[in-house]
Amino acid sequence: MSKANNRLSIVSNWLAPSLLAVLVLVHSGQIRAAEVELKPGETIGPNNWQRAQGMVGENLLNRIKGGYTFQIKEPKLYKPLKEYVEATEKYSKNVKLGPNGELLNYAAGLPFPNFDRNDSQAGPKLAWNFFWRWLGDDYKTGGATKEGKINRFAIEKDGSERRSDLVSYFIFPRTRYMLDPKPVIPGYENIDYMQLRIDSYPRDTAGTTTLEIRYDDPKRVDDLYIYLPSIRRIRRATTTQRCQTLAPSEFVLDDINSHNGKITDFNYRVLGEKKMLANMAQEHEPYHRKPGDYLPIDEKWEVVDTYVLEVTAKDPNYCYGKKILHINKMTYDNVWTYIYDRKGEFFKEFWGFFKPVNLSDGREVWSVGDVMILNVQNGRSTVVTATRAYNRGYPVSMFSLATLQRIQRGESIE
Amino acid sequence: MERLRRVSVNLVELLFLVLLAAPAQAASILGDEWEKFFTERVKFSGYMENTTGLAVSAGNRFFAESNRFVMNRFVIQPEFNLDFNEKVKLFISWRFVKEPRYSAEAKSRHRVVSYFPVAPVQPLPNTFYDEDSFKPWEMVWNINPTDQLNIRLGRQFISWGETDGIRLLDVINPQDGTFAPPAAPNLFNLDETRIPSWGIRTLYTVRPVSNTIFEFFALPGFWDEAKQRVDEIVGSNDTGDLKVRYGRWSAHPETRLVLAGRNAFGNLFANPINPVLCQTATPTKIGCLVIPSTSRELPDAGDSWKIGTRITHSIGKLNFGLGYIWGFNPQSTDMVFKLKGVTCSSPIAAACAGGAAPSVATLRLVNDRTNIFAGHFNYTVDEIVSLPLNTAIRGELAFYPDEPYNISKFPGPFGLRAGPHPRHPDGTVEKNTLRYSLGFDRTTLIPFLQEDPLRPFRMSFQIFQRVILDHEDGIHPFSTAQKIKMVSTNLTFRVSTGYYGDTILPDVFVGYDPAGYWNLNPAVTYAPPWNEKVTVSLIAALYGGHNKFNSLGFFSEKDSVFLKMRYQF
Repeated sequence: MSKANNRLSIVSNWLAPSLLAVLVLVHSGQIRAAEVELKPGETIGPNNWQRAQGMVGENLLNRIKGGYTFQIKEPKLYKPLKEYVEATEKYSKNVKLGPNGELLNYAAGLPFPNFDRNDSQAGPKLAWNFFWRWLGDDYKTGGATKEGKINRFAIEKDGSERRSDLVSYFIFPRTRYMLDPKPVIPGYENIDYMQLRIDSYPRDTAGTTTLEIRYDDPKRVDDLYIYLPSIRRIRRATTTQRCQTLAPSEFVLDDINSHNGKITDFNYRVLGEKKMLANMAQEHEPYHRKPGDYLPIDEKWEVVDTYVLEVTAKDPNYCYGKKILHINKMTYDNVWTYIYDRKGEFFKEFWGFFKPVNLSDGREVWSVGDVMILNVQNGRSTVVTATRAYNRGYPVSMFSLATLQRIQRGESIE
Repeated sequence: MERLRRVSVNLVELLFLVLLAAPAQAASILGDEWEKFFTERVKFSGYMENTTGLAVSAGNRFFAESNRFVMNRFVIQPEFNLDFNEKVKLFISWRFVKEPRYSAEAKSRHRVVSYFPVAPVQPLPNTFYDEDSFKPWEMVWNINPTDQLNIRLGRQFISWGETDGIRLLDVINPQDGTFAPPAAPNLFNLDETRIPSWGIRTLYTVRPVSNTIFEFFALPGFWDEAKQRVDEIVGSNDTGDLKVRYGRWSAHPETRLVLAGRNAFGNLFANPINPVLCQTATPTKIGCLVIPSTSRELPDAGDSWKIGTRITHSIGKLNFGLGYIWGFNPQSTDMVFKLKGVTCSSPIAAACAGGAAPSVATLRLVNDRTNIFAGHFNYTVDEIVSLPLNTAIRGELAFYPDEPYNISKFPGPFGLRAGPHPRHPDGTVEKNTLRYSLGFDRTTLIPFLQEDPLRPFRMSFQIFQRVILDHEDGIHPFSTAQKIKMVSTNLTFRVSTGYYGDTILPDVFVGYDPAGYWNLNPAVTYAPPWNEKVTVSLIAALYGGHNKFNSLGFFSEKDSVFLKMRYQF
């Protein structure tokens, strides 16, 4: 009896969990099999849409079912810049998280290079790695496009669309790797970044300029000043209303660069790792599409390894229920975002394509290329061509109110 | 003065020549690549706009009171940006305006003009609102010798302050009151109604991280011919040139001062030549009447200089600035009448002395040279005792030492509502005046009022106050016998949002004077989803109040609706 009991005990205590584990492995293996089986040259379309299931947003999957067809290509690999790697090696040892998720002892580079998704603090650590991913010492969004500016198209559900153009300048004054002074511009030790955004088309909005400043103090909200050409005055604005739509697009303030909220204002949870379909080497700029539709016609997609990060706001009144980011393990950029409203219903999905660009010394780095956001609830979408030009050496004085006072409608400030 | 003018003109010409060398240099560098230069360095844009306005209250088809067909204004404004290099840029624009009007209107105005003695006076010509000069509307050289120094040279706008719809520190450029209704920013925004001035503005960023910026500007004023902006609240009769200047938005003229059955507006400022003859309870003699001969005294070149300086700085979340403006104050609401003398309307002076002919008061409508001490701040308040406020607060302050006002004695002689002030024979008095405003701006989401719950409503509330220090009884606006209290207040509220992907854009501006006046300026704009260049707006400008001789009540018979179509290129 005791032997029988022992056997039973072995079965129940060991065999059953093992079987369960095997089942789980088999199950997950099936999903992974579908992912890894995607080979360069393979075509995905309505006949085999299942092969892309789980690797793209729900809406894009429906479009594949409905006829959207594309090819899989070889993954594009990028090497991090040695200056960034050196800074990571030099400074990351002492970096840690504070009690409220704030980053302590951070100087430059990737804060947590030995990221372990099983770490109890994996969520906020991944969020900080995303925030401090390599973005150059400064950059001009749209600076590497043909026209040298961002083209943005607001597309209605019925296919009608409107264009607007703008440029956006970022500077990271306390994490400088290549441009002097390094690693920090004196006086700017407490500023994470400053952004200057200038609308240039159509004419009536041309010259509208915003200056946004992000401070490292987790309790200090961003500063925002807006110059309005219609009254030729600078107005102060609050940034606490992070959910307001940036007209006429479908982006809200926190959707810029996929997640632009203050890191400490959110809770983070790593949901796992996942292979996603993305495009790290966009072939056409802007990507070719039919008028009135956001789908890229002839771009190939590739399989990218990502961490899946769930982002929920600490503020219970925040507009989004949650955001799911898919962070590229190689670059810590986000390639796919799923957004759910407060009722938990699917709200928006957006992807960011990337493409190689060169620094002035010829080294290849990556930049966001075209970005698409779709509001699945109202059918409106926005497509943005935003390829960056890095390390332009912008003077820090450019990011001051003096620039807003002197801007002339339609004028370049460079 | 003429010598100073010549020297200054020569200096500026020299400077322009030096600057104009820039494109030549650019050409030589570019060689034959002019096409490339124009493609990459020259931008062309602008807009065309047609605004049609219709009076919906008062008025008649004879245009005698208010014009039924208020406006049909067509504007075309081409604009060029030339980026010569990273240090020198030029912006240049022209504004052409045509307002087709009907001769019936001019004839009608002609018929209703009352004038004494009878004379062939002329109303505004049909082409009064047109602008067809090839002189650049704006021409700004933007020069950056260093990263921290910016020089803007040319015909330009300089705007201080942050208020919305109403101006407080934005008093550097004059405002054109001829074509736009007052307090209606949804019809013509401030940028469309300011008049640019020639001059120089420099900005030196002392310390970028704290936005410490030193600013200096000088607008010499003598390159622009001073312009009579007729509709600057009050209309005027000039017995000198026999022109009657009542325009589209002129305030309701003072008609309560009646003597001997005639308009006695002039008696607000002066007594007749022989007032002794009128010392009865109800004087009826024509000799008791004073006729105003009003003309605008535009400043000489030297008097129209404006110089200003300001320093701005940030401490934490607080951004503030302190400044000073000296020079000609171009604001129409700050004008005063000055009595220059009383003459007889008859060539025979004895006719007035004997009470047989009315006297004529020569009044000059002037803007005095003034000093303004200016200050502003802005600050964001996120929450107060855990209550989310999410509001940007802004304030402006302007202190005018010795600001001139018109003053009269209430009640006046001969039973009139007001008459000349015995202690201020020229009809003016100077008082230290403090003006300030507080503004509260926030965006908020009101999901149940929106088809897209994340489209924000932008709301702005403002309070304006003017405090006349050492106030004296009898101070009144130049155009009416209506006393100005020591403290006057105006409130404004504005709300706007966007529906259907920001294709339907409502915007409502409300002004309120607690003394019992209001205005409403609602607008709804359609921006078609298929073309970003086109907008069509329906706008109203409505006014009300218990007294048509005061505040916003001035315009209570001028309610109008407008259709505005705009094409940007």
